[in-house]
Amino acid sequence: MENLVTANLRARPTRTGISILAVALGVILMLVIGGITQGTLSDYLDRTVAVGADFILKPSDSSILYAFTSATLPVKLAQKVGEVPGVSVVAPVLSIFRASDFGLVFGIDPETYNRLPGRLRIVAGRESLEGFETIVDELYAKARGLSPGMHVRILDHDFTVSGICRSGAVVRVFVPLSTLQELSGSPDKATVMFIKAGNAAEVPRVFDELHARFPGYSIVRTSDPSLLLADTPMPGLKEFRFTVILVSMLLSFMVILLAMYTTIFERTREIGILKSLGASRAFIVGLVLKESAMICCLGVVVGIGLSLILREAIVSTFPTLQVKLSFEQMVTSCLLGLVGGILGALYPAYKASKMDPVTALSYE
Amino acid sequence: MESPGRRCIIETRNLSMVYRTGAVEVHALRDVNLEIHEGEFVAVMGPSGCGKSTLLHLLGGLQKPTGGRIFIDRIDLTSLSDAERTAVRRRKVGFIFQRFNLLPTLTARGNIELARRIHGNGHLNAYGMEEIVQMLGIKDRLGFKPSELSGGEQQRVAIARALINQPSILLADEPTGNLDSANSMQVLGILRELNERLGQTIVMITHDAEAASTARRIVHMRDGRILEPPRQLSFEPRMERCP
Repeated sequence: MENLVTANLRARPTRTGISILAVALGVILMLVIGGITQGTLSDYLDRTVAVGADFILKPSDSSILYAFTSATLPVKLAQKVGEVPGVSVVAPVLSIFRASDFGLVFGIDPETYNRLPGRLRIVAGRESLEGFETIVDELYAKARGLSPGMHVRILDHDFTVSGICRSGAVVRVFVPLSTLQELSGSPDKATVMFIKAGNAAEVPRVFDELHARFPGYSIVRTSDPSLLLADTPMPGLKEFRFTVILVSMLLSFMVILLAMYTTIFERTREIGILKSLGASRAFIVGLVLKESAMICCLGVVVGIGLSLILREAIVSTFPTLQVKLSFEQMVTSCLLGLVGGILGALYPAYKASKMDPVTALSYE
Repeated sequence: MESPGRRCIIETRNLSMVYRTGAVEVHALRDVNLEIHEGEFVAVMGPSGCGKSTLLHLLGGLQKPTGGRIFIDRIDLTSLSDAERTAVRRRKVGFIFQRFNLLPTLTARGNIELARRIHGNGHLNAYGMEEIVQMLGIKDRLGFKPSELSGGEQQRVAIARALINQPSILLADEPTGNLDSANSMQVLGILRELNERLGQTIVMITHDAEAASTARRIVHMRDGRILEPPRQLSFEPRMERCP
């Protein structure tokens, strides 16, 4: 049995192709932008956890992400924190956001920082940092073709690469804490402090003790990404994701609305023929909806395929960028693409079903 | 209980149709009274604009009249909703058009099967397909799209499509209007055969006297009215009155 829906789609290959691509674009938008957001966040959380600290001390009511952009903690506080029974390491860190490559630079004291379990694993060069020296991770080095002894421009200053560490460190670029304090005009200040308890059994007690002793600060547990995420308010992220989803859905909606609206006017006579054959309104509505559903399904499949290709292209072009495409995201984008398309087809379907058969049959 | 005479399958009572465009009123039909019995082959003749196509559309339930009543197989079409009229059309009426009106994206087979599918609420029933395409001589043309068929072949496919659901009434709107004389003769021969051999009720609109002469009865129309009482040509079945 020939299928009128597929026959109609095949009869207008250009429009069908463009409609499929437009729906695919919505899916790509949803998956890739969502994937970059999710990938960056997950990567950041994973690497924060990989530092191996038990807690992060930061200014109260600040986000784990945005706190990294200002330096308000006095470095001297590290000494007081270190006096808390059970605390074995306190590593103050100053972070600066680099708009040039959308990443963070950490100012660290290698001696204290490397006492944390997630210490920098040097794969080339040395692990010491002095003056305008930097340690970068493998991905950053690969992306810029860096090797120890080479110069790299960071925060508008020339730095010499003293070492290259294994990827997975909390950020990709490390410079001496004192140098970064000087460059940022924040002497003796830090953004956060990574804290390690002496042993795992003491973590709850140390956590309570830190809370009691430093009530004006926020102490975040970092044992796993979900805990970190739960303690990390991210203003705007939800709204951003909602906007991306909305735009993607609107894209599917508008494309299908326009395509099907034009289609039913082009096929006015055909609708008249169907009505003369006794096709009910439900049959005609079903026909239009099936046609748009098929476009959406193909669009979603093409969109997912192109998103996977695009992810590979992004990751190979920008190795420091993470794009996370989860199964849940794919299912969500499929559903939203379909829902957007079906909603877009409702009005044209209704118009088609309401056509006067005699007028439709005489349509030229 | 059915009377022994032929059943009245179409009846119109004071049927009127007025088209309004702003303040302008066009009377397409004026008090048309017509009875057609089961098994009749009636040609409705008249010049362009006399209302014959409007009459056909009303008989097929494609439009609702502005006045009067239409009975199709004792069902009062004028009292039905749009959806109910569609259902009556689906069950009882087959249309043949001057321009064939085949769906261009489907093959001949697809066009015929679509009518079956619409009739069967989406479920295809192949019963009768073989016999019909054999009778119309289009068996080897079923895999072709309308654009690949000649006018005569397209009209025969359209006839097959109209017949596939075994309708009580076949409504033909200028079925030879787009055909050359050879194909016209062939199509008219098919209609005549359908009427004579299968007892198919046919109402055919035409302005061609030669085509009309194929029918057993000719109804003349002018200015939206039926001009004279139906003239019997050769066949005089015993008729019953419509209810």
